[in-house]
Amino acid sequence: MTDLLPSLETVLQTLATGLLVGCTYGLMCVALGLIFGIMRLINFAQGDFLMLGMYFGLAVLSGAGLGATIGPLPALIFAGLAAIPVFFVLGWVIHALLLARIAQRRGATEGEAHQTQLIMTLGISLVLSNGALMAFGSTPVSLNVPFASQAFILDPLGAGDVLVFLNEARVLAAVAALAAAGGLYALLHRTDLGRQLRASADNPLAATYMGIDVVWSYRVTFGLGFGLTALAGVMVATYYPFQPYVGLDFVIVMYAGVVLGGLGSVMGSFWGGVIIGLVQQLSTLVLPLQLQGTTVFVVFLLILLIRPQGLFGRSVERA
Amino acid sequence: MLSLEGVSVRYGGLSALTDVSLSVGEGEFVTVIGPNGAGKTTLMKAISGVVPLSAGRIRLGGQDLAAVPAQRRPHLGLAHVPENRQVFSGLSVLENLELGTTPLADRAQSAGNIEHVLDLFPILRERTAQLAGTLSGGQQQMLAIGRALASTPKVLLLDEPSMGLAPSIVDMIFERIARIHRETGVTVVLVEQRAIEALELCTRAYVLTTGRVVASGSGRDLMRSEEVSRAYLGA
Ligand SMILES: Nc1ncnc2c1ncn2[C@@H]1O[C@H](COP(=O)(O)OP(=O)(O)OP(=O)(O)O)[C@@H](O)[C@H]1O
Ligand SMILES: [Mg+2]
Repeated sequence: MTDLLPSLETVLQTLATGLLVGCTYGLMCVALGLIFGIMRLINFAQGDFLMLGMYFGLAVLSGAGLGATIGPLPALIFAGLAAIPVFFVLGWVIHALLLARIAQRRGATEGEAHQTQLIMTLGISLVLSNGALMAFGSTPVSLNVPFASQAFILDPLGAGDVLVFLNEARVLAAVAALAAAGGLYALLHRTDLGRQLRASADNPLAATYMGIDVVWSYRVTFGLGFGLTALAGVMVATYYPFQPYVGLDFVIVMYAGVVLGGLGSVMGSFWGGVIIGLVQQLSTLVLPLQLQGTTVFVVFLLILLIRPQGLFGRSVERA
Repeated sequence: MLSLEGVSVRYGGLSALTDVSLSVGEGEFVTVIGPNGAGKTTLMKAISGVVPLSAGRIRLGGQDLAAVPAQRRPHLGLAHVPENRQVFSGLSVLENLELGTTPLADRAQSAGNIEHVLDLFPILRERTAQLAGTLSGGQQQMLAIGRALASTPKVLLLDEPSMGLAPSIVDMIFERIARIHRETGVTVVLVEQRAIEALELCTRAYVLTTGRVVASGSGRDLMRSEEVSRAYLGA
């Protein structure tokens, strides 16, 4: 009987991996939740943004050869930091040229504007993934950084018989995700810009009466969401082989995490992502391999049944 | 200070304002009264630039507003206290007031203005950290007025501040509005259904019915006028 139960070591190992993976999911969810929370826009291109971030990481480390010249770790840090402004600008341009234009069509009601924007993101998604297929081909690639195959070893009991391995690439990704989500929180809650973004989400008409350009707020939000997703992409690329359709592996996780955290609650989305990571990993302890993919869905449905406003959402938040 | 010449606004096929002209001098307190659906809110929205004009011209301090988008008008000194208060319900009272200072560049001035608002409405001072959506209706109205004052406006637009409030609160709100006008000299445009109170406060008034200005004059004259008293004062 006893060998059917997972050992303490396995449980701790799974928890640790779940937390690390969950933090990167958290960042992806925060980015999606930000775009939804402020713009009320469901962004179907989120997975493709992640994919572009991965290829950006590859371009910086291998393409530009930075990994060899300044070393893989500095090159990765550089790629992560550069991804935010680069994709912020790209998101800004996509919003200005595409999303804002169709939203501002004369005579469109707010609901119609959201629907056309949503379909537009679907189109953007198709263009990005197929464009990537043409540009990069369908062969999976990876970043090949040394720390993807190195681990920090924890000895939680101090006796040396229970060891937990923390993959260095995942630790780096989790640290970056925590820092970025923390930075976003500070931006939203401690700065004038953040207050204006939240006001634009809370009551766009009143925000206009305060002298806030709400469309500009949405543009900044879309840029930020793109930049943060691309950062997540750079970090995940260190341990996850990818091809142009890699986004599909993550979109369900992102949507589940955002809904779990409570739609519209940006920071709740982070914890939603962490929980998804934990659930996904813990399920490996008890479920056969074929069923592991379904656990995320099952948890997602259970939450929707029991707490439709999400774990961290307030039911009154959206009036 | 503020003038409208031949302003018309249409919602699809429906004419909400037809050829409305009015002018408000610097430091004046002008009231617009009219029954439900007369176009009072539309008038305020047209001045703020959130609904497009189908004809006419609006000037603020001599400047034609046609080319000034809604979100730039607060920077020219226009502040709008909207119908139904429209506070940022998920943000704190203090954040609402801080948002009111958006058009100001000077942080010290912003802080001073917020202090001033909190002196005017002490009940808000006790609740600066509370979410605005959890305030009572009267408190939300005070917050909406305070938020507008925080930008040191030249022209203050007030859209039915009495709506949905108990009579004692309405008296208090009107008293504060009178005080604000007296002490700061801000130009006030007040839109109201409560004709008597609103006419008592103002220097001049207009009567709006189905999108047209049908009468104007001093508040006292209008209160005495046959037509107005029959239609709006229930006399
Ligand atoms: N967004 C809109 N779309 C279509 N029609 C509208 C819209 N807003 C207002 N109207 C119509 O325009 C007319 C004037 O409305 P408005 O809200 O300006 O009146 P009001 O005088 O403020 O009324 P109340 O005293 O009830 O606030 C009404 O007939 C109304 O139905
Ligand atoms: Mg109205």
